[in-house]
Amino acid sequence: MESYFDIDIWGLVAAVVMVLVAAAISALMKTGVAKSLIWATARSLVQLLAMGFILEYVIRQNNVWLVIGLIALMLLAAVQITMGRATGAPKGLVGIVLLSLVVTMLLMLAIVAELIVRPKPWYAPQLVIPLTGMLLGNTVSALALGLSRFFESMRERYAEVNTMLALGATKWEAAKPSMISSIRLGLLPSIAMLASSGIVTIPGMMSGQIIAGKSPVSAAKYQFVILAAVAALTLVADSIIIALIYKRCFISYDRYFVPEPAKKLSFKDLVQLHKSVHPGEKPEDAKRAAAKEQHAQMR
Amino acid sequence: MTEGEVVAQTTKTSTATATGASGGARHLFTARDVTAVMPRRGGGETTVFQGLEFHVDGGEVVDLTGPSGSGKSTLLTAFARLNVYTTGSFALDGKDSDTFTPQQWRVNVAYLPQTSTLIGETVADAIRLPWTLKVRQGERAHEPKDMLSDAHIRATLDRMGCRDIDLGRAPRDLSGGQAARVSLARTLLTKPRVLLADEVDAGLDEENADKVADLLKLAAHEGTAVVRIRHRAPDGRATRMMVLKDGALREVPLPTAAQVAAAQRADVVDGSADDTADGTADEKE
Repeated sequence: MESYFDIDIWGLVAAVVMVLVAAAISALMKTGVAKSLIWATARSLVQLLAMGFILEYVIRQNNVWLVIGLIALMLLAAVQITMGRATGAPKGLVGIVLLSLVVTMLLMLAIVAELIVRPKPWYAPQLVIPLTGMLLGNTVSALALGLSRFFESMRERYAEVNTMLALGATKWEAAKPSMISSIRLGLLPSIAMLASSGIVTIPGMMSGQIIAGKSPVSAAKYQFVILAAVAALTLVADSIIIALIYKRCFISYDRYFVPEPAKKLSFKDLVQLHKSVHPGEKPEDAKRAAAKEQHAQMR
Repeated sequence: MTEGEVVAQTTKTSTATATGASGGARHLFTARDVTAVMPRRGGGETTVFQGLEFHVDGGEVVDLTGPSGSGKSTLLTAFARLNVYTTGSFALDGKDSDTFTPQQWRVNVAYLPQTSTLIGETVADAIRLPWTLKVRQGERAHEPKDMLSDAHIRATLDRMGCRDIDLGRAPRDLSGGQAARVSLARTLLTKPRVLLADEVDAGLDEENADKVADLLKLAAHEGTAVVRIRHRAPDGRATRMMVLKDGALREVPLPTAAQVAAAQRADVVDGSADDTADGTADEKE
């Protein structure tokens, strides 16, 4: 049952017209969302098409280094998005976020791709890259939610933490309620997704495979493996990060001190990160790129 | 007052008290060179006090008074080594605090915060909390097995004059006075060697304040060194009185029995409204 219905250029136009009509209606109703709706639509069209062309190229080339390079880029973007969304988290967490994302991503690829699906070649881009994307998308929101919640909770529990320390609690014991609440909150969306899939929603991946003409049953098997792995690995990522950062809320002699929230991660920090990951590169290019970005931001 | 004067004054006071107490014998708890430097809102720093000396022995009840913002709470949290803005050297039985783990130090030198934070579903859980901590896991082996049973906690609370407190109640349903006593009982049951009570009677009515004072006096009888921050009029239970003012810590003579009685009569008329106001101001320290 291999049948696939392609969308031609008029399909895209129709979708855009639909959004324009919706925007016009909302502009008439003065809801104030018309502009951002159009802007977001334009962005999504460009970004998705770009991703499509890039993926097509990478899949056609079928080159292991291209795959690894693309995954590295996705990881960096994931770090940036996590830090941007994690309000209230102090600075200096970039390394830890990157570490936990890399660890969970490697686990995902090792277990789901190489142990369960076993593609040939092992780096098959049409499997590995969408897998990474689905994992990162989920982990990023869980980590951002978990990080914000942890530091917010540690600030809120000021009196409780100090009381526990005064009674002889260790840093771990005093921070534990905040850790639990943070991990629980970060994991809620994954659990809800697992429980509701198949009843309320046909998840994106399964829909995609069915539309592409694959058997719905094999699509369901695929979807289940991905959902289960993503939920489990989100827990892993969240636990790694919380276990590594809880000490940030204490200073010497186990005294309670929550660091100031960091300002939003800027493009400069990314360049800095990029430089520490690839130290061999010329700094001029990075600097020029940063200046350009800043100029664009000012306008 | 300049800094030089502050230091000179504290040194003088400490020699005076050292000779006063059993001829320079080693004290249970000593604090030397205690300094607090707070960050100011909007940048800069404020030195609250500098180079303070203090000591206390088992069985003593030392009252610490002084105007709001003089750093009394800061001083006590410095003793328990909980305060991030303070430095100093502290010793228990002549052993420096750095030779203890932070947890062991705080088990021995227990700070009791002004606001009672009771953690747990029920009052019994809140009282059991210290015994669930790792630092006391070894200790529990030596305690009787039923020490954490509700019956045992009930008996202990009754002995402390807390008959009115139901163990099964949620901590948030307690009155202010009851919560203060449960919080005090929780710390007292851990038998600290030094108890640093930060205005635990603030905002309590006369009757509850009296009960709290009795509990502290009982602990002192059993050998604990008690330091109390107080805003209320003297209640006749202190064995020494210290005043922290303008960065200097001075010992002042104890009020006579007649003065205590007069002050308590005045306190009843005054009420404790200004105590509560002082208390909230103090929290910022």
